[in-house]
Amino acid sequence: MPEAGAPEPIARLIQEFSKLPGIGPKSAQRLAYHVLRAPEDDARALARALTDVKEHVVLCDTCFNITVRNPCTLCDDEQRDRSLVCVVEQPLDVLVVERTGGFRGLYHVLHGSLNPIDGVGPEQLRIQELLRRVEGGGVVEVIMATNPSLEGEATSMYVQRLLQPLGIRVTRLARGLPSGADIEYMDDLTLSRALEGRQEL
Amino acid sequence: MAARPRVYRAEGVILRRRNLGEADSILTVFSGHEGKFEAIARGVRKARSRMRGHLEPLTRSRVLVAQGRNLDVFTQAETVDAYRRLRESLDASAEALYCLELVDRFTVEREPLPDLYALLVTALDLLEAGNGAAVTRHFELRLLALLGYEPHVDGCVLCGERLPEEETLLSPAAGGLVCRRCRAEAGGGRIVAVPVVKLMRFARRATAAEFVALAAPPEVAQELRAAVADLVRYHLDRDPNARRFVEGVSALERKD
Repeated sequence: MPEAGAPEPIARLIQEFSKLPGIGPKSAQRLAYHVLRAPEDDARALARALTDVKEHVVLCDTCFNITVRNPCTLCDDEQRDRSLVCVVEQPLDVLVVERTGGFRGLYHVLHGSLNPIDGVGPEQLRIQELLRRVEGGGVVEVIMATNPSLEGEATSMYVQRLLQPLGIRVTRLARGLPSGADIEYMDDLTLSRALEGRQEL
Repeated sequence: MAARPRVYRAEGVILRRRNLGEADSILTVFSGHEGKFEAIARGVRKARSRMRGHLEPLTRSRVLVAQGRNLDVFTQAETVDAYRRLRESLDASAEALYCLELVDRFTVEREPLPDLYALLVTALDLLEAGNGAAVTRHFELRLLALLGYEPHVDGCVLCGERLPEEETLLSPAAGGLVCRRCRAEAGGGRIVAVPVVKLMRFARRATAAEFVALAAPPEVAQELRAAVADLVRYHLDRDPNARRFVEGVSALERKD
């Protein structure tokens, strides 16, 4: 809620900031007054960045990642292996996998995971698009990189069943111990899968 | 609400999770003694959280909970059963999620329902052991019974007459089977075949394991599913969300 007494434009800015995730009324106020004190150029740059993001960023028609050009730079890159498709839940996940530098295939962003109880079904995700893409040919392996949560696993299994008749290889990321973790506090599921996936030293 | 100690223990099944802020989640737990309750798991979405894996939905866990000003807070969590095999089956996961949603929708917070909790754990155990949709049918019928919505299947619910062994009207509005003569007053329903009636009667006295072992023919199972769905819809005033998923998953299987 805007402070009583704050001039209308500031009150409105506070109101807008407080809609952002993780920003409470106090933080919104601080941000608004910061913008007010900041050089005019900074404020304009912020405003432009905000409008640009809505005007120029679109979803790639192939992988549904967020992009400024369609097809996106990843899908357009001739150097990448077109027979490998890594399926992720969110656009941010693409960045994380890319950062590892270990993957040279293409991506497919589902924009969420199945959550049957909350009413998120296959039709709300980019699952049909994935099916059509794979049916289009050229894909040898689909790597499911959904979260190792109930929803993520359900999504992976669902996609696997959907793609099964096409006879392509569907794999999923290994599950194991995160670095820096404590075995003492590890849950049974992770630990038993880590035990299964153990490797020669 | 009875006064709870400042820190209390509970054993329960995690029904659902919703995210809160950067790294916290609010989890809904269904336990035998505390009933259904919500509490915050702080930092549980961080990679190094010690409680994370123990507080996944569809996990049976022992938790330690501290009373908070608004919401209670989990302080410790330990898995009792992660239902690993169940999670690795799409069909079993779908059935289990449907059962969890039923519990969530049919219960109110902090109402102890130890019998329903035992029923849920039994159902999950049977799904974990590789059983299918019959587990859910027994679960649904017993859940309705435990909560006071048991359909009357011994005679006509309206006039009390004995029913001949033939197709009969099952009327959710009337609360059970209705004889031919009373049909007009039943307020609608579905005609069910004799084997379906028998299964509904059997579910009242059979344990979940006995019910599952009966292995009804597919068309009977299908009809029972639709009949019980009518009852659930009537008492809930809607279909559970997960029903569509269960149906979508089984449709996918029939195709190949």
